[in-house]
Amino acid sequence: MLVVALGVAAVLARFGHAYAAYPFLHVPDERAATGDAQALGQRAARAATALDRLRPTGTYLVVDTYRNRLHVYRDGELLRTAICSTGTGIVLRDPRTGREWVFDTPLGERIIETKRRNPVWAKPDWAFIEEGMLPPKDPNERFDDVSLGKFGLYMGDGYIIHGTLFKSLLGRRVTHGCIRLGDEDLEFVYNTTPIGARVFLY
Amino acid sequence: MNSSTTPHPSALAFFSISLLLAAVGSVGAGDVPPRATQVAALEMELSLARRPDVYLVLNPSARQLEVKVRGVALDRIPLRGVEKILHVPLLSASSPPPFPLPAVWRVVDGPGDSDREYIAPTELRPYKAEGYDDPPAAATPTRPGAPPPTATPIPEPPASYRAQLDCGWDLWITETLPPLGFLARARAAVRDGWERLRGRGTHPRPAITLAMDRDDAKRLHHLMRSGMPLLVLADP
Repeated sequence: MLVVALGVAAVLARFGHAYAAYPFLHVPDERAATGDAQALGQRAARAATALDRLRPTGTYLVVDTYRNRLHVYRDGELLRTAICSTGTGIVLRDPRTGREWVFDTPLGERIIETKRRNPVWAKPDWAFIEEGMLPPKDPNERFDDVSLGKFGLYMGDGYIIHGTLFKSLLGRRVTHGCIRLGDEDLEFVYNTTPIGARVFLY
Repeated sequence: MNSSTTPHPSALAFFSISLLLAAVGSVGAGDVPPRATQVAALEMELSLARRPDVYLVLNPSARQLEVKVRGVALDRIPLRGVEKILHVPLLSASSPPPFPLPAVWRVVDGPGDSDREYIAPTELRPYKAEGYDDPPAAATPTRPGAPPPTATPIPEPPASYRAQLDCGWDLWITETLPPLGFLARARAAVRDGWERLRGRGTHPRPAITLAMDRDDAKRLHHLMRSGMPLLVLADP
């Protein structure tokens, strides 16, 4: 019986696959840089200098969208870390047209394009569709001067660093892509971050 | 470094262009010239950093994965292992050919694209009819005075997932590697053989597997989107 079972197992194992691990070996890519040592050194120095020029200077922001933290840096020194809220990543579909909106906070580099006190939100269509309502025909009914808090830092494409009425949701992924901050942190970021400052989001 | 508990590297470490800068510095001093692969990697990183997008840098020998923008290391993830993992016959003698490195691969299909929740109202009521003056069934942050909303539950990202790379391999992010001892593999092969006989065999793609802490794996999940570049460095 045992012999038969082992035989069946051996046959099955003969046809079956299993995971196998191999070391991460590699060879130099033949298309990689070639040349004499001096030329290579010059190319490396040029590339390193060019990379160095891409570094942010002055005040800039770093947003960790997984941990929901916003860091304020000045010349590499961390000035403040704030709890924020970022995008849910949920997709909203318009039942009439099938149009979709992805509520992601953007990744990569953005620039603070403008700053406003007492910002007014012109609610886009998705803000109504999400509530199960048709967007209003009167444009005046789209304006909301309360939800964004006292300050807004605009990063383009409708993405804003702003305040929130619901502080209890800070630290969670609840927004439509904007970055929400508490009142004190928002005021600090507003006063510290100039227009043109870079925002790194990941 | 347990990056899952460290908010950020220090200010000086924050700017990590590359380990290659050390080599460049030594060239300037007239010492050891940089290797061709190091220069190539530096130039590849420069081409990625010229764009405002996030990119990943895998350093297999240092067992480290970095999340970068513009050459700035925003996050560093220590790896417990970097392996090529294939689903092969139990007694297969062939091993995969080595990768030509450095190289930039891109995610062509990842869980950052596909693992999304969709919401869609079944119908839309006229804005005025049930209007702005009536309290909505669900409170919205756009209405001051309304009760605070409950956050839409967001599913927790998994700690093990795969993303397809344009090099034909998968990038497998996982907390734990599959059992790789002979007996465990034999058991898996028997099980797989039985499934194949029933026409239910699986054929996982070969994978570059990065083993890391659970929280680190979770927080990489949303970065595994189409087009995300992965620069893989050669040995120093």
